[in-house]
Amino acid sequence: MFSWSYFLQQSMNGVILGCIYALLALGMTVVYGILRLINFAHGALITIGAFFVYFIFFRAGINLAASLFLVLGFGGLMGLLLDAVAYRKLRGGPEVALLITSLGFYTFVENFMKMVVSPQPYAFKTPASLAVMYRTSLLTFRSIDIFIIVSSLLIMLAFNLFVKRTRMGIAMRATAENLEVARFMGIEVNRVISLAFVLGSAIAAFTGFLWGAKYGQISYDMGFLTGVKAFVAVVVGGVGSIPGAMVGGFVLGLAEILSTAFLPTRFAEYRDGIVFGILILVLLLRPAGLMGVKEEVRV
Amino acid sequence: MRKRIPTEWYFLLWGVLLFLGVFLANQFLNRYLLYILVLMGIYSIATVSLNLTNGYAGLFSLGHAAFMAIGAYTSTLLTFPLSLREAYELPMLPTFLGGPDAVWPFFPALCMGGLLASLAALLIGAPVLRLRGHYLSVASLGFVVIITTFAKTMKSITRGPMGISAIPSYTNIYWTYLWLFITVYVVWRLVNSRFGRAIMALREDETAAQVLGIYPMKYKLFSFVVGAFFAGVAGGLYAHFTKAIRPFEFSFFLTFQIVVMLILGGMGTIGGPIVGAVSLLALRYVLKPLEEHFKIYGLIEIIYAVLLIVVMLFKPEGLVGRRKDTRRVLLGGKSHG
Amino acid sequence: MLNIEHLTVKYGVIPAVMDVSLRVEKGQIVTILGANGAGKTTTLKAIMGVLRPAGGRIYYQGMEVTAVSPVQRVRQGIALVPEGRGIFNRLTVEENLLLGAYCRPKNDAVKKDLEEVYTLFPRLAERKKQVAGTLSGGEQQMLALGRGLMSKPKLLLLDEPSLGLAPLIVRELYALITKIREQGVTILLVEQSAAVALGVADYAYVLESGNLKLSGKPEELKSLEDVKRIYLGG
Repeated sequence: MFSWSYFLQQSMNGVILGCIYALLALGMTVVYGILRLINFAHGALITIGAFFVYFIFFRAGINLAASLFLVLGFGGLMGLLLDAVAYRKLRGGPEVALLITSLGFYTFVENFMKMVVSPQPYAFKTPASLAVMYRTSLLTFRSIDIFIIVSSLLIMLAFNLFVKRTRMGIAMRATAENLEVARFMGIEVNRVISLAFVLGSAIAAFTGFLWGAKYGQISYDMGFLTGVKAFVAVVVGGVGSIPGAMVGGFVLGLAEILSTAFLPTRFAEYRDGIVFGILILVLLLRPAGLMGVKEEVRV
Repeated sequence: MRKRIPTEWYFLLWGVLLFLGVFLANQFLNRYLLYILVLMGIYSIATVSLNLTNGYAGLFSLGHAAFMAIGAYTSTLLTFPLSLREAYELPMLPTFLGGPDAVWPFFPALCMGGLLASLAALLIGAPVLRLRGHYLSVASLGFVVIITTFAKTMKSITRGPMGISAIPSYTNIYWTYLWLFITVYVVWRLVNSRFGRAIMALREDETAAQVLGIYPMKYKLFSFVVGAFFAGVAGGLYAHFTKAIRPFEFSFFLTFQIVVMLILGGMGTIGGPIVGAVSLLALRYVLKPLEEHFKIYGLIEIIYAVLLIVVMLFKPEGLVGRRKDTRRVLLGGKSHG
Repeated sequence: MLNIEHLTVKYGVIPAVMDVSLRVEKGQIVTILGANGAGKTTTLKAIMGVLRPAGGRIYYQGMEVTAVSPVQRVRQGIALVPEGRGIFNRLTVEENLLLGAYCRPKNDAVKKDLEEVYTLFPRLAERKKQVAGTLSGGEQQMLALGRGLMSKPKLLLLDEPSLGLAPLIVRELYALITKIREQGVTILLVEQSAAVALGVADYAYVLESGNLKLSGKPEELKSLEDVKRIYLGG
């Protein structure tokens, strides 16, 4: 029972999820490029961002625009802290060590939220200005959907301009490609890394808000799977490529939504499994991803 | 000058002492303490088997929970009492497994669980073990998600998210420590043999090992499969101990706990994993009343996470691990060119 | 301009450079020769500040810089063209060049210098927007050289510029190196291929297994049996 309207509706949902994955993948790929770190703690920032906005917007009554700016700042700060406290000491170590430590950080933050905030999920009401419903003949959507798409595109555009046109941005790409040579150029690598963390974390925290506003619920464990899926998006798009991360995000979002929408209903619950199935397939068949640079994925 | 490898007699002595210890514990300790001891045993089996793959072979797998899940569900389904099968909407056993009237006894069921886990390891291992370092970890993590997804969706076999309860309570302290003994013995034998030297050589420098004629895949796969077997057994023991299993219990967090136990205890020795498992479980049960009293749920997990971070930052070889064995995997002991 | 006294550099406990002393006078082309693993690259990295010496001192323009950070050294006019080019393959030619000027304060002189580099290396000018990884070996070496020049160095360190290049290109390259010296840049040149380097150098040092074995003017060294021995026909 194929209907265009259903297809378009689901495609839109896929694009929206894709926007979120793309934003997360962006932050992850820059850090990964420089440090070879699969930063599981990235997912924790989604949770932090969501709850942060919850408290300052719903509880403290700060207006929406200000809340959004604040969450960007807060997220950036958290990212900076994470880098300074943990990852700095492990720099240059084997990748597995970095990964495990980031898992430790993720678990810490997740359970911290569980302990200090709540083990129960919170309802996240879509702010009134973003809950306006639009009905067309083919699609039904809310202004939050437009907001997500527009803000994501703006962020991605800003990010791209940054890495392509600014001195610091080019330095970041250079450092991601070859850290040692970047040092030879006199680039302060530590500053570049901190900046990468700040930017990625700020964006991730913002994504937490997007997620809450769109899906209506936030919980202490909301970041884990999403964070890992963001890494899947990075792999699908091609490790080491910034445009690849964004493309990977959209591809993954669409694949996840459309596969569950169009497979027989009993397959809907296979959603997460499908995402990881895609990961394993990509790693095995086309490790460089869609746009990636050859990295030694296999031994 | 190598240290003398303990001989089989040494092992036998340990076995006798262990049996005595278990016997005495069973006689004199109260139920709660026995409960904790059994859990320590089960987690020790899981950690020791993980050490084979992650520590000795240097393949950092995060997939252990998946194998435990397979073992748990398999042995549960094989031993589930006939009378309850209909009530729980669980299938009868097909003829080749003994027919609809059959119910398997405990030991074979556990072995079957382990075997099926090994089979899964063989299937997933062939492609995944070729991946490097952290890609292997992420892929194995994906495997855990895939298995739990299956557990949640194949309702006709697994009862989906509700899980299976009223599992016959076969696990006791004797079974547990018997299996721990077997696991440790097998791992010890493997590690102190030609096989063991080969996988450690592979761990240190794969290219050099290949030049010596050691085919990576064969050895990696073997350690992965053996590790999975005992993980499956641990899963089965767990199922028949807690009497109920649900998919979400075999999530990433279970793997995480075992990984923390392994790293805390130390990856390079036989005893390390056991030390890690015992310490962390002891810690858990000391803290549990605190958690419940103050209603601070998540405290134990936070402490686990903090311990992991602290160990990784300051003492990656763990409590009793050997630096040289941890070097390659966690410290990256590459020589400079 | 550059004065190294009793330099010792270790990787962990393994010594790579032991008690090496050398000088480079302003306006000279000095070359360091040696086989693979002799410690040449290590020495350059120490001069650059990327490796910290275990012993010895480094003086630049009369001041001690042993503890100065790489960033500062670049600002003071030392530039390194790394072994194997070290260009950023995923960045464009122009982006690579601009990165060479990373440490310079923001002003227009950078654009002017960019134009000068394009004049010096016309082939790079043709490929401004091209991704660096797609250039040929010779072009990549020129890019690396041009990038080094973008920091307006007083002392240019070159690590095996002729590596992997065809003889014709090497000749072209060395002509450019001489031209750069004529523009007032002091050059410290590391090479495995002795013949080419000795053709342009004013002075030469020979390293073997981390130790300074020989030093002298090229004419003196060319005839020495030792040099031939260390090189096996280099």
